[in-house]
Parts: sequence; structure tokens; C-alpha cells
Amino acid sequence: MSRTRPLIELKNIRKAFEDFRLEEVDIDLRAGEVHVIVGENGSGKSTLMKLIAGWFPADGGAVLYKGEPVRFRSINDAQAKGVVYLHQDVQSFENLSVAENVYFGRLPRLWGLPGLVDLECVQADCRSLFADLGIGIDPALRLGGLGYAERQLVAAAHGYVSGADLLIFDEPSSAMTEPDRAILFDIVARLKGRGVGIFYISHRMDEINRVGDRVTVMHQGRIRATEACRDVDRDSLVRMMAGEANRNRYPRLSGRRGPVTMRVTDLSLEPILKGVTFTLRRGEILGITGLMGSGRTLLANCLFGGVRLHGGRVEIDGRSVSLGHPGEAMACGISLIPEDRAVNGIFPRHDLLQNMTTATLRRFRRGGVLDDLFMRELTSDYVREMSIQPGANEDILNTYSGGNQQKVMVSRWLMNRSKIYIMDEPTRGIDAASKVDIYNTMNDMVDKGASIVLISSEIEEILGMSDRILVLAGGRIAAEMSGEEASKERILEYATAEE
Amino acid sequence: MYAIERIRIIRSYLEEHGQAQVHALSGLLGVSEVTVRRDLERLEKDGWLTRTHGGAVINHPETVDPLMEVLEEPEDDGIRDEIAAVALRMVDDGDVVMLTNGSVNVRLAAKLEARSDLTVLTNDLAVALRISLQESNRVVLLGGDLDKGEKAVFGTMALANLNRFFVRRLFIEVDGVNADLQMTVNTQEKADLILGAIDLAEHSVVVCPADRFSRSAFYRLGRIDMGGGVVTNTRLADDYKSRIFASGVPLYTSVMAFEGSE
Repeated sequence: MSRTRPLIELKNIRKAFEDFRLEEVDIDLRAGEVHVIVGENGSGKSTLMKLIAGWFPADGGAVLYKGEPVRFRSINDAQAKGVVYLHQDVQSFENLSVAENVYFGRLPRLWGLPGLVDLECVQADCRSLFADLGIGIDPALRLGGLGYAERQLVAAAHGYVSGADLLIFDEPSSAMTEPDRAILFDIVARLKGRGVGIFYISHRMDEINRVGDRVTVMHQGRIRATEACRDVDRDSLVRMMAGEANRNRYPRLSGRRGPVTMRVTDLSLEPILKGVTFTLRRGEILGITGLMGSGRTLLANCLFGGVRLHGGRVEIDGRSVSLGHPGEAMACGISLIPEDRAVNGIFPRHDLLQNMTTATLRRFRRGGVLDDLFMRELTSDYVREMSIQPGANEDILNTYSGGNQQKVMVSRWLMNRSKIYIMDEPTRGIDAASKVDIYNTMNDMVDKGASIVLISSEIEEILGMSDRILVLAGGRIAAEMSGEEASKERILEYATAEE
Repeated sequence: MYAIERIRIIRSYLEEHGQAQVHALSGLLGVSEVTVRRDLERLEKDGWLTRTHGGAVINHPETVDPLMEVLEEPEDDGIRDEIAAVALRMVDDGDVVMLTNGSVNVRLAAKLEARSDLTVLTNDLAVALRISLQESNRVVLLGGDLDKGEKAVFGTMALANLNRFFVRRLFIEVDGVNADLQMTVNTQEKADLILGAIDLAEHSVVVCPADRFSRSAFYRLGRIDMGGGVVTNTRLADDYKSRIFASGVPLYTSVMAFEGSE
């Protein structure tokens, strides 16, 4: 491969989705180069990488790979030609061993037969590989038993032996601590030495200089700038990532805030959350944001009793409470409206009535049976107030749009009449009209004395809807600011801060 | 307990408290929420109360004031009150606010009783009258030509008067918003007054019930983003909600989904 000809070159790439588009993307990667991609959540980094790795075709533009125009037909087609994408939701096989996951796709067959894997051979290979790389994980363990950071190491090792010419790391270190990161960087350096070209998506500013040769900043589906890593400074990168914030379109009505209702002190969950301390007032919307891997969702689950804590104290209205189980949290007046309703909430094959009432069945219980009439009436009330469409009780939920499903989820938990609502990514991936409905519902909730912890990766939404903002970075609260003094730059500044 | 007895208790509870929650009444009476809802429905039919989400509020017998009666519009579906309740949340004690003429703003004027030390500017006679009944707020009725249909004043004199005040928050009531988000009003004089007021106010908010969207009046005012926000009821079509959000203007709707904390 010559020094002048890039390994891959994208020219004027365009791709439109329902709610997002990549536009006029020009980017290239040389053999033996690490090209870091940065940008805020939703700027298009992963989408661009998926396009390169054959997940979907471009609508327009050209891709030159090893000097030839190319159009990968599928992920497998791209892999066969040497392009491997290690994406952030570490794709892995829970029930297979660590060794099998590392060598997946290159497993030696017993007697050359498909379906029969020479396990001993794989584990021996893996053992010597791990010894060489300094990875202290037993290759015989089932992958399902590992933590997220360990899985990230396994994924990196998989990339190392994949034989790829072009390797894409998507936030490979988001959960890692420093010793693990050192191993990862060593892997990257060795791959680079072999002439592998690497795209490296990162949220950690310090990594740009530690592993990168060039860095590209993405913003709203476009490339803002590509620079040599030694030429860029952190401030200008943060400015480029932020762009113009449109915080004014959020319908926030600030209400009267009352006394502190929840006090969280020194909450810890190794290895992610460290000493998280904050208060929440009655009638307040407290925004919590942070980048991928900052511990946002884990914190939400801790506050709802979904995870056993390693340390810390939670007080509700001055009384110390134990949140060991969601039932205890609910008894304390806390409800969690979880992120990713498809996985954590909606029962797609059940009807609207069941989906609405499932969290509050006790309200409808009358002497051992459920008061059907009351359930229907109350559900209709919510359907009307939340503008849920079409909104008939017997509608099966998988026929509903994402926005209407989300409004069903919100209604389900509103029916619980809690004091404290933890809303984790309440508007992710839904249409604008449903967003407007949910924001206005939040106003209604705080007006009637509820308190909201709004967890969101969308910084504009946090700026637009919060009375007060906490920035999480590396499992710690890196900053606290009032809604008025906050700006996108300030939040990104703290969110990307090194520990 | 017999229905007649329950209804007597609910009535006396409402007379004392002004409003009631279904679950509170259900606990008080020891009957199911459905039963309470049915009782409330019956009382609503008799004109005793207005049902709300999760409860009811008592209907106060109208003050017998012939002047008020003239100014009061006959029909009311509760929507204007809902919108006015959201707008009220944008007003702080001590503010200088202006309300242009219209039926939602008349409801807002009545609700301003909950605030104190306000200075309220208006060209609407009914608004002025409402504020005049409030002890701790002051009203300035702009002078000018009286439009008998609208029961409001307009013209150069009204505009000249307006110039002497610094308005912190202006509530503009419009008569139509079309598919291109262009706002319209019924008379040229009204358009002139609103445009003059927008120039003087620090924040402008448009109030407009959902049923006035997709409707056009004769006189064009400008695009909806000339104000700093729009207040309407939740029934607004999704298409408008999306387009207003996309145009960068906050859209406040009168969602009343939450029943309160248990």
C-alpha cells in the first residue's frame, strides 16, 4: 500500500433516515493510521461507521477501498474484504466461552466439520494470546459472567485476531479503567504497526492524543473538520462539537420549587459510579447528562432499586430509605420511566388497556377482582390528556408509533401517582409532536408538586427543560450548574474532562 | 350508603374545599372510585360542579352583575380556561403584562387574581373589568375608538398610550393560524395594535385555541415565530405540534394528565 493512496476514501456520501441524515461526508483513512472520530451523542459517528462496514448502502457518493470503487452488500461482504466493525453494544455470545468469542468467525473445526469446534485448541490459543497482551481473563469463562469493561477487552482482542485491514473501534474504552485502557492502547499500537487502518470513535478527549494521528469532528450528520491530532487543542474541539444550541424551542414552565425531597449522598457502585451526591427539590426538574459510559442509566437504575449499591445513602423527605428492590422504591414514591421502551417497558403483543394499567393494578383491585370499568375510564382519561393515537383500549401496542408507545409508558407510570419520577431518555427516537406532549406533561407534573430527574444524552433537551443540571463524567458528578448559567460548551467541557 | 346521602356529602365537601379528588372522596365515602365518578357526573349534569382530570371543582354561582353578564361570552367548553391556566404560569408577582382582546385573555385576566402587584395593560373592556375587581392588581385600559363588536379599543390613541409603558410580557390572542404558520386576526386595527405592542414588549406569547388552527381570518399578522412562544390546548393536530417545534418556538399545551402524588 503506497503512502499516498488511502486505504479507504469516502466522497460526498449521503444517507437519509426517517429522523436523521448524513450529508456531504468526505473522509479517508490510511493504512497504519488511527483516525479518531469525535462528536456529541447523535452526531452521526456510529451511523457513518455502520455505513462503512456494510450495514446499509449510501444514498449517494462514492467509496474507494484499496483504490477500487466498492459497494459492500452486507456486513459479511465487508468482513470478507477485511472491514471489521466492533460496535459499542459489544456484540457477543453470552453462552459461549471467552475464547470462542475472541476467535469467533475463525474457529478451528474438528476434523474439518462445521459445527464442531476444537475447544481445547481454541482455549490454548486464547491463553497464550491473553498472556502476550497482558489480559487477565480466564478464556474458559462463559462470556455472560463478565462485566462490561471485561467484554470490551474481549472485543478488542477479537479485533486484534480478526485479520482485518480496516478495523473500527466504537467507544472501545467507555467502561474501562486505566490499566485496561493501557492494554487497549497497546493492542491499537500493535495493529497500527502491522499496517491496519483504524477508525476510533471516542468521547474521551485525552485519547485523541494518546492513540490518534488525525481527528475528525462530526456535528449533526456532517463533518465539521479533520485535523492532525498534534495541531488541535481541546477548547476548539469542544466548540466544534457543540455547534449552535437551539434551547429556546423547549416549552419549560418553571414552577415554585419546594423543599428538598430526595437527598442522595455518596452513592457508589464499583467500578462505575463514584461518590454521587445530589439533592432534588419538590417541583424541580433536575437534568442529568453525560456521555456514553458516564453512568447515566446505571444511576437511574440505582435510584429505582434495580441494582444493589456498594455504598451511599438515599433519603426521601428526610427519612433514610433502602432501595434494594423496585418495590421498595415504589413504596417510597419513586417511579422510573426507563430508557429503551422496546426492551424495558412496552408489551408489544398486549393491548393498550393492559399496557396502561399494569404498574398500578392495586388501584383497580376491588375485593379480589379488577374493576374493569374503572380501568377503562381512567385509561380513556389518560388517552385524551396525552393525545395518544389512535387510543382504543383494545389496540395492540406493536401497531403504535414509537411516540405513542412512549406516551403509553409515561401514562402507565403517571397512574402510579408518585412523588419522584426518574425519566431516562424520555424522548429518544420519537417524533417531534410526541416530544412536545411529553415536555408539557413534565410541566404538568412539576406544577402538581412532583419532582423529576431527567436523564438525557441530548444536551439541548437538558438545557431546555432543566431547572438545574448535573454533568456526569466517569461515574462522578463533574459539575453542577443552574439552567440559566449552563451552556452546551460548558456541559461538554465537563463531560469530556479527564479524571 | 345511598346515592342521595353520598351526593349530599360530596356537595358539602365541595362547598368547604372548592375542589375534590376522586380518590379522596372514594376514601371518605368508602365507595369505589367508579361510584364517585358517577356521582360527580350527576352533579355536573345538574350544573353543580365541573369535572376535571381526577376530580372536580365547584361551580360558583355567577356574581349577579348585569355589566359582567353582558361581557361574559355564553359558551364555554373549559378549553379557554385550560389555556389561560398555562399562560398564568408565565406571570410573576409585580410584572407589567399586556393582554390583547379575546376570549382566552378574558379567562387569563380572571386568573390573574392569583398574582399580586401586577400592572395589566389591555384594550379589552372585559379584561379591564376583571382586573378592576382584583384588589392587589392595577389595570390600565388603553384609550381609543371602541369597536362595539369586539368590545375593545383600537386606533392611534391606543397605540400612543401603549408607548408610555414597558411591557414585560405580552399575551397576543390571534383569530387564526394557517398551515404555513401564518397568524391572522379579524380586523386591520387589531393587527396594527398587536404589531405595535410586539415592538414594545420584552416577551411576546401567542395564545390560540387549537380549533383556530387551519382557520384564516382576514388580516395577516406574521409568522408564528414572531412571538417567543405559543399556548394552546392539547388537542392540536400532531402536524402543527411538529412544525411549531421545528420552527424553534416553544409550544405550551394544557396537558392535565397527572392526578397528583398519592
